[in-house]
Amino acid sequence: MDFSLSKEHEMARQLFKDFAEKEVKPLAQEIDEQHRFPRETVDKLAKYGFLGIPVPKEYGGQGCDIQTYVMCVEEMAKVCGTTSVIISAHTSLCVDPILTYGTEEQKKKYVPDLASGKKLGAFGLTEPGAGTDAQGQQTKAVLDGDEWVLNGSKCFITNGKEADVYIVIAVTGKVEKKGKMLKEISAFIVEKGTPGFTFGTKENKMGICGSSTYELIFTDCRIPKENLLGQQGKGFAIAMHTLDGGRIGIAAQALGLAEGALETTIEYVKERKQFGRSIAQFQNTQFVLADLATKVEAAKLLVYKAAAKKDEYRTNPKISYSVEAAQAKLMAAEVAMEVTTKCVQLHGGYGYIKEYGVERMMRDAKITEIYEGTSEVQRMVISGALLK
Amino acid sequence: MNLEEYKGVYVFAQQVDNKVDSIAYELLGKAKELAAPLNTQVTAVLIGSNVKNLCDSLAEYGADRIIVVDDPELKDYRTEPYAHALASVINEYKPEIMLVGATAIGRDLGPTVSARVATGLTADCTVLEIGDFPLVAIPGKESEQKHNQLLMTRPAFGGNTIATIACPNNRPQMATVRPGVMQKIDPIKGAKAEIIEFNPGFTPNNKYVTIKEVVKAVKDVADIMDAKVLVSGGRGVGSAENFKILEDLAEAVGGVVSCSRAVVDSGWKPKDLQVGQTGKTVRPNVYFAIGISGAIQHVAGMEESDVIIAINKDEDAPIFDVADYGVVGDLNKIVPQLTAAIKAEKAKKNN
Repeated sequence: MDFSLSKEHEMARQLFKDFAEKEVKPLAQEIDEQHRFPRETVDKLAKYGFLGIPVPKEYGGQGCDIQTYVMCVEEMAKVCGTTSVIISAHTSLCVDPILTYGTEEQKKKYVPDLASGKKLGAFGLTEPGAGTDAQGQQTKAVLDGDEWVLNGSKCFITNGKEADVYIVIAVTGKVEKKGKMLKEISAFIVEKGTPGFTFGTKENKMGICGSSTYELIFTDCRIPKENLLGQQGKGFAIAMHTLDGGRIGIAAQALGLAEGALETTIEYVKERKQFGRSIAQFQNTQFVLADLATKVEAAKLLVYKAAAKKDEYRTNPKISYSVEAAQAKLMAAEVAMEVTTKCVQLHGGYGYIKEYGVERMMRDAKITEIYEGTSEVQRMVISGALLK
Repeated sequence: MNLEEYKGVYVFAQQVDNKVDSIAYELLGKAKELAAPLNTQVTAVLIGSNVKNLCDSLAEYGADRIIVVDDPELKDYRTEPYAHALASVINEYKPEIMLVGATAIGRDLGPTVSARVATGLTADCTVLEIGDFPLVAIPGKESEQKHNQLLMTRPAFGGNTIATIACPNNRPQMATVRPGVMQKIDPIKGAKAEIIEFNPGFTPNNKYVTIKEVVKAVKDVADIMDAKVLVSGGRGVGSAENFKILEDLAEAVGGVVSCSRAVVDSGWKPKDLQVGQTGKTVRPNVYFAIGISGAIQHVAGMEESDVIIAINKDEDAPIFDVADYGVVGDLNKIVPQLTAAIKAEKAKKNN
C-alpha cells in the first residue's frame, strides 16, 4: 500500500495550484458577490485542457486518470467553490455518461468538443417533484417518427443556460415489474438551441453563487431518435451510475473547500494577536486546528480511495465504486461544513466579513451536503450495501 | 312564552336601493320546503322606503304573504330602525321560524333582533331541516322529545366541525343563512300574495347611525388571499397575452386571477399574484389550476382550497392528485368554452 502520489500526480497538482492561485482566486469574491458565471475562467480552463482531464486522448481529452481529475477539482475548490463545481458537473455528469454509454457516433460527435472545452456540459435529472426520489420523474419523451418529443421541466441544473450539451432523463413509457406498473425511464442528449428547449428561473443561492443554476423547460422539444443515450428504459441506472462518479467530484470539491479554509485560518491565527500574543498560541486554537486537520486528512484518504476505485473500474467494468463514492462524499461534505464553520469562528468577527473569504467557504460548503445526493442518500447507499 | 301561539315560516326579504337581493329568493325557496311538513305558510318581511313594487317578485318566488314595513326612515339600512321594524313584526305576528340572509346586513340585523325578542339565533347556516329534538329520544324521557323543530346546521371552527343546533324553548327559531346555499324555486309567473302593511312607528332619534356616504368601490388590484374564487394559471398558459382567457373566466365566475412561480419568472404576472411556497398561501372556495403541473412547491400554497378544478393536457400531471375535478385537454379550447357555459348558465338564472 503506497500513500504517496506519483511524480506525475505531484506535477499535475502543482499545475492546478498555480492556475488556481493566478487565475481563479482573484475572481472568487467578485463572482460570488455579483452572482456571475465566470465565463473567462471557463475559457482558460478549456485552454489548459482542464475540461477533459479523464477523457481518453482519442476523444480529444488529456488521457489522465480520475485521481488527476479529482486533484484538479480539489485545487480549484481551495480558492473558489464555483469554479470547482463547473468542472465537476461538466466532466462527471455530462462527459462521463457519454463516454460510458454513448455509441461510437455519439462519442465522436460530442466528446471532442466537450473535452476541449469548446462546449460545456450539464446534467438534467432533478425535477420539482423528483429530488431524492428520482423515480418521480414527470418529464416525458415520446417517439414520433424518427424524433423524440420532450415535454416537462428540470430544476436546479448546474451549468444550466451556460452549457451547450445536456444529458436529460425522461419517462418513455410504463413497464410492468412484479405486477406493478413502473415508469420506464431513459436518458437523452439534448443540445442548447433545439427549438422547444428554453431556460426558466435562475436560482438565487446561498453559496456557489457564480455557478449558473437554472430551470430547463421542454415544450414539444424534438430531438433526433439517435440522441437516446444508452438503451431505452435504462435511464435510471445510467443516472444513478453517473451520480456515483459525480459524487467523487463533489467529494473532491468539499475536500478542497475544507483544505482552503484550513490553510487560510492557519495563516490568520499566526498573525492575529490578542492578550499580547498570537491566537495560535492559545491551546483552544491549537486543538481545534488539530481536530480539523485530522478530519480533513481522513476525508482526503476516502476521496482518493474512491478515485482509485473508479480508476480500477475503467479497466475492469465489473468493479463497483458506488459505496466508496458515497462514503467519500458523505464524509468530505460533513467535514467541509464543520471545518468551514469552525474556521469562521477562529477568525472571530473578521470571519463574518465578506472580505476575508472564509464566510464564502462556509456558504459554499453547505451545498456539498445536499447536491448529487444528500448526505441522507449517501447513508441509504452505504447501509443498503452493508445490509444486503 | 306560549310556543303554540307562534306560527309560520318568515323570511327577511333583503332589498338594497329598491332591488331585492338574491338571498331573499333563496330563503323563500327554502322556506317553502320547511313550511310543508309544518303545514303552514311562507311570509316575507319587506322593510324599506317605497318598496311595495317589489312584492310581485317575492310572490312569484314563493311568498304566500308579505308584511311590508314602509317608512322614509328605512330608506338605507341602519341597524336601529331596521331592528325596530323586524322586532315589531315578530312581536306582532309571532312567527315560528325567522330566516335572515347571512349577508353583511343580515349578520348585523339578525343578532340585534334575536336579542330584542329574546330568542336563539344560529348564524351562517348551511343546512336547515325540520326534525325531532333531541334527534334520538332519551330513554325514560321520551315524552320530552319535541317534534317539528328547526334543526339548524352550520360549520364552526373555520369549517373544521359541523354543528347542528336547535332552539326548543324559545320562539321564533332564528337563523341567518349563508348566501348561495339554498335553491330558489322557478318563479311562478303572475303569482300573488296577501300583502299586509304594518308600521310600528318611527321617531328619529339620536341613537340612529348617520349615513354620510355610501361607497361602491371596485377594487382594481384584488388581494388573492381574500378571493373566494381563484383562476390560477401556470406555464401551460403559454404567454402573458394568453392570460386573457383566464381573466375572462375569472370575470364570469366572479373570481381573481393568480399564478404559479413559473409565470412570475417568465415576467407574465407580478409576484403579488404568485401562489405557493415562495408566494402566497390561499384558501378560496374554488381554485382553478389551469396549465399548472402541480409540483408540491405550488400545491403547498393551495391544497386547502375547498374545491380544486384542474385543467391540464398531461394526464399524469401531479395536480390531478389534489384536484376534486379534472379535465385532460387543451386549456385554449376548454377555458373559453367553460367561460361561455358559465355565462349562459348565469344568464338563465337571472331571467
